[in-house]
Amino acid sequence: MKGNVLILFYITLNYGGIMKEILNTVCDIGEQMLRSGAEVHRVEDSVQRMCKAVGTLRADVFIITSSMIVTVYTEDEKAFTQTRRILSINTDIERLHRMNALCRRVCGGNMSLDEIRAEYNAIISAKGYPALLEYPVYGVIGGAFAIFFGGGFIEGLFAFVVGVVLRLVVALTDRATLGRVFSRFACSFAASLLAHLFFKMGLIPSVDHVIIGNIMVLIPGIGLTNAIRDLIVGDSIAGLLRAIEAVLIALAIAAGHFLFITLFRGIML
Amino acid sequence: MNEVMQILTAFLGSLGFGILFNVRGKRLLAASFGGLFSWALFLVLGFGIVDEAVRYFIVSVAVSGYCEIMARVMRTPTTTFLMTALIPLIPGGGLYYTMTNAMSGDLDAFMGRGMATLSLAVALALGVVVTTVITSIALKLKLHKNKM
Repeated sequence: MKGNVLILFYITLNYGGIMKEILNTVCDIGEQMLRSGAEVHRVEDSVQRMCKAVGTLRADVFIITSSMIVTVYTEDEKAFTQTRRILSINTDIERLHRMNALCRRVCGGNMSLDEIRAEYNAIISAKGYPALLEYPVYGVIGGAFAIFFGGGFIEGLFAFVVGVVLRLVVALTDRATLGRVFSRFACSFAASLLAHLFFKMGLIPSVDHVIIGNIMVLIPGIGLTNAIRDLIVGDSIAGLLRAIEAVLIALAIAAGHFLFITLFRGIML
Repeated sequence: MNEVMQILTAFLGSLGFGILFNVRGKRLLAASFGGLFSWALFLVLGFGIVDEAVRYFIVSVAVSGYCEIMARVMRTPTTTFLMTALIPLIPGGGLYYTMTNAMSGDLDAFMGRGMATLSLAVALALGVVVTTVITSIALKLKLHKNKM
């Protein structure tokens, strides 16, 4: 007797209106999971289960990284469809964790639409770490990996400075909504510029480790790993999209350095 | 000493990414320790196995196993741990040296470095895939048993 409360609800009241509302809520939860960085097949699975749990006859769910389409068929042979366009993915594990928990509870049944809505709104309005914290965190990652890849303490310190500046570049490119690939390109150019500047001023023994530390900040996480995972699990389209994005970002990072070196080869090297 | 420093900075790097990805509380700690384990295991395996790609593969299988277990224990998606714990294994150094070789026009070194970096990335991904497949088979078997 899964979702019996919901079924009672929409049989006694106007059927179509409530069904639309339910589908809307299910899509909202799925969309938020996808936006927070869940794998495509997890979201597909979750949306499918939720649709089943709220008592639809059949649900067709198609999701790729940039779009989702959900159609549900009700017992009186009506069909409802919603599509969602996913413009950007902003990894937020805490939100994903709570949406996932909410999804489990919905699938467990015995949750009214209002309860689901209230919980959903609570998750959306929850605050993350303060935005200013990201500046030192970028620095710490850059500094830590400069030392990790064989740099000395001094290089770690300057990689920290470069990392903080990179967060500033990210903030600027985000404000201009220039997209992730361009943002990585600009960051990589800035990192190369700063590292060579510090080197020229005699502050660091070599540019290598400072740049490597900051490449680790920019690199698309385990984007490529996730892509190959998607491909092998059978999500070919999602896997290809992710793989292309990861490769593009790696190329953008390389292009930033190339541009700097070619522009300033005569002056600074 | 160098190794201790590497393990510490691997922990710090993973912690940093954990914060960027908004991982919270106990899960943040578990994720950062994943980064520490992965590099420590990589260094330990160095005593027996010379080939870096083979070591990457083994570490990747083991650490993603750790991630799957942690995800089950803390009832949260596996992505949480996978995205942070494997960060120290990303061949950022290889990518950079491949780039500098390309810029200096040393084609042999470029190909050599490029292939080495690529094989590390592939070993990393394959390791994750192997664990994913094993886990899903194990879960299916368990479900099957419960039904009977």
